[in-house]
Amino acid sequence: MIGALRESPAVNRFVRNPLSVLGLVLVLTIVILAVGADVLTPYPAHRGPIGDLVQRNSEPALVHLFGTDLMGRDLLTRIVYGYRLSLMLGVVVLAIAVPIGVGLGLCAGYFGGWTETIIMRLTDVFLSVPPLVLAMSIMGFLEPTLTSGMLAVTAMWWPWYARLAYNLARSEAREGYVLAAELIGASPAHIVVREILPNAMPSILTKMTLDMGFVILIASSLSFLGLGVQPPTPDLGSMVAEGARYMPDSWWLALFPAFAIFIAVLGFNLLGDGLRDALDIQA
Amino acid sequence: MTEHDAETPVLRVSDVTLDFRVTGRWLRVLHGVHLAIRAGEKVALVGESGSGKSVTARLVLGLLQRQPGARVGGRIDFNGYDITHLSDRAFRRLRGKEISMIFQDPTSALNPVFPISRQFREVLDRRQPGIGAAEAAGRAAAMLEEVLIDQPDRVLASYPFQLSGGMNQRVLIAMALANTPSLLLADEPGTALDVTVQAQTLKLMHDLTERHETAVLFISHNLGVVREFAERAYVIYRGRIVEEGTVDRLFHDPRHPYTQALMSAVPKIDGSGLPALPPDETAFAALPVVHDGDGMTGQVSR
Repeated sequence: MIGALRESPAVNRFVRNPLSVLGLVLVLTIVILAVGADVLTPYPAHRGPIGDLVQRNSEPALVHLFGTDLMGRDLLTRIVYGYRLSLMLGVVVLAIAVPIGVGLGLCAGYFGGWTETIIMRLTDVFLSVPPLVLAMSIMGFLEPTLTSGMLAVTAMWWPWYARLAYNLARSEAREGYVLAAELIGASPAHIVVREILPNAMPSILTKMTLDMGFVILIASSLSFLGLGVQPPTPDLGSMVAEGARYMPDSWWLALFPAFAIFIAVLGFNLLGDGLRDALDIQA
Repeated sequence: MTEHDAETPVLRVSDVTLDFRVTGRWLRVLHGVHLAIRAGEKVALVGESGSGKSVTARLVLGLLQRQPGARVGGRIDFNGYDITHLSDRAFRRLRGKEISMIFQDPTSALNPVFPISRQFREVLDRRQPGIGAAEAAGRAAAMLEEVLIDQPDRVLASYPFQLSGGMNQRVLIAMALANTPSLLLADEPGTALDVTVQAQTLKLMHDLTERHETAVLFISHNLGVVREFAERAYVIYRGRIVEEGTVDRLFHDPRHPYTQALMSAVPKIDGSGLPALPPDETAFAALPVVHDGDGMTGQVSR
C-alpha cells in the first residue's frame, strides 16, 4: 500500500487535480486547527460554559470575528473546538467500525459458505434500517452522551465496510496470488490478513476519507436533534440547533457553525474523490 | 535415465474419480485416473481443455476434496502415504514444502503490493519458520542465480509489476524449488508468456529439476513442449487416461485413436495438419493403450 502511494503516477494524478488539492488543504487546515485549538484560538477559555457576558450576542467584528453567542462566548473559538470534537468522533467511530466491518467482510468473502450467509445477512439487516433512524433508536435507549453517540454511529457504520470488504475479498480471492499462497501452505488467517487485506487497503482508506465527512455530518445531525453531545461541550450540530432559534436576527449563531460543517464535509469528500481517482479505484 | 525400479513412486494416483454436483446431479469429471511418477522423473499429462488435467493436479494438492460440490473416489499416494482425504491442516504442511506448483500466468501469481524479497521469504519460512530477513535474502539470491538472474538483489527489491513476465516466471520457478520439494506440479507453465520466453523458462525449469532431482508432473496441451520436457507421458481424454508410455514411443507409435488424432492436429509449417479433430469420436472410447517396457505398466489396468 505504501509502495502504491509512493508510485509517482498516483501522486501525479492527485496533484494535477485542483479539487483534490483543495480538499487536502481544507482537511489539513481543519486538522491543524483542531489539534492546536488551545494555542490557535483567540479565547480558549470560551469552550466551557462561561463566556464574557458583557460581549454577549455581539455581531461579527474584529474582536470576535464570527461574533459571540448568548453567553458571550467567542463563536470562532467554539467552532474550532467543535471541529476537534467532530474529528475525534469521526476517528473513534471509524477506528471501531472499520476493523469490525472489514474483518467480517473479508472473512465472508474469502471463506464463503455459511460464514458468508450469516455475516452478509446480518449486514443486510443493519443496512435495511435507514441509518439516522437506527442511530436515533439506539440513542433513544441510551443516555445522550458522547460515548453513546459514538456507539450509535458505529453501529450504523460497520455494515458498509463489511459489504465493501466482502466484495473486495471476493474479487481478490480469484487472483492468482491467493491460490499461490494457498499452494505454499499459508493458513487462511495469513491469506486474509497478509495477502488480501493489503490489496484491499487503498479502497478501504479511500472510503474512510470519504466517510469522515459523512460521520461528522451524521453526528452533527444527531446533536442537532438533541440526541448527541450535550452543552456546554462545543458541538457544531448543537450550535446550529441553538442558533436556529435566533434566526434571522442573530444570523451568525447558526450560519457560521453550519458553514463549518459544510467546509469539513466538502474537504473530506474532495480529498476522498481525489484519492479514489489517483489510486484508480473502481468504487 | 536413472534406474528407479523398486522404489515407491513419489506420486501414485490410483483409480481416482471426481464428481461435481451440478444443479442437483452428480456429474463425473474423472473416470478412474491412474498415473504414477517416480522420484526425479518428468511426466507429462497431455490433453485438450476440459479433459481433466488441471483437476487432477488440484486433487493432488488437496484443493478440491473440501469443496462442498465435489466428491472424490480412489486413492492418491504421496511417497507411499495415502493423502486422498487428508485434513486441510495436513495438506497445508505438504504444500510448498513437499509439493509445489507453478502455473500459467506468472505475474498474477505474485502479490502486487509486496516486493519479491518479502514473498520469497514467506516461501522459505515454510520450511524454516522464523527465518531472518538477511538469511532469507541470501538464500533467495542464491536461488535466483540458479535461474540465471544476473542481479538477484535488484530483482528481490522489485515489485512484480516492475519485472517482465519471463522474469516473474523465473522468480516463481526459483520459489517453487526453494524448499526442495520432491514433487513439482507445473500446470501449463508460462502459457501466458510469449513462445520464446516460455521456451527459455521451460529449459531452465528442466535443468533445475534435473539438478535437484525433483519429480515433475507437467500438465500441457502443447505436444511440442511435452516432447522437449518430459520422459513419459499420459494422454488424458474426457477424464480417462487413454494412452501412456515414454515420450519417444508415444510420438513414434501413437496407438490410441485419440492420441493419433491429437498428433495429427499439430499445425505444420506449411499450413496443413490443422484440426482433423474430431473425425470419429466414437473411436476415442477405445480401450486404453499401455506401451510395454515402461516400468510402470499396470497402472492403467482396467
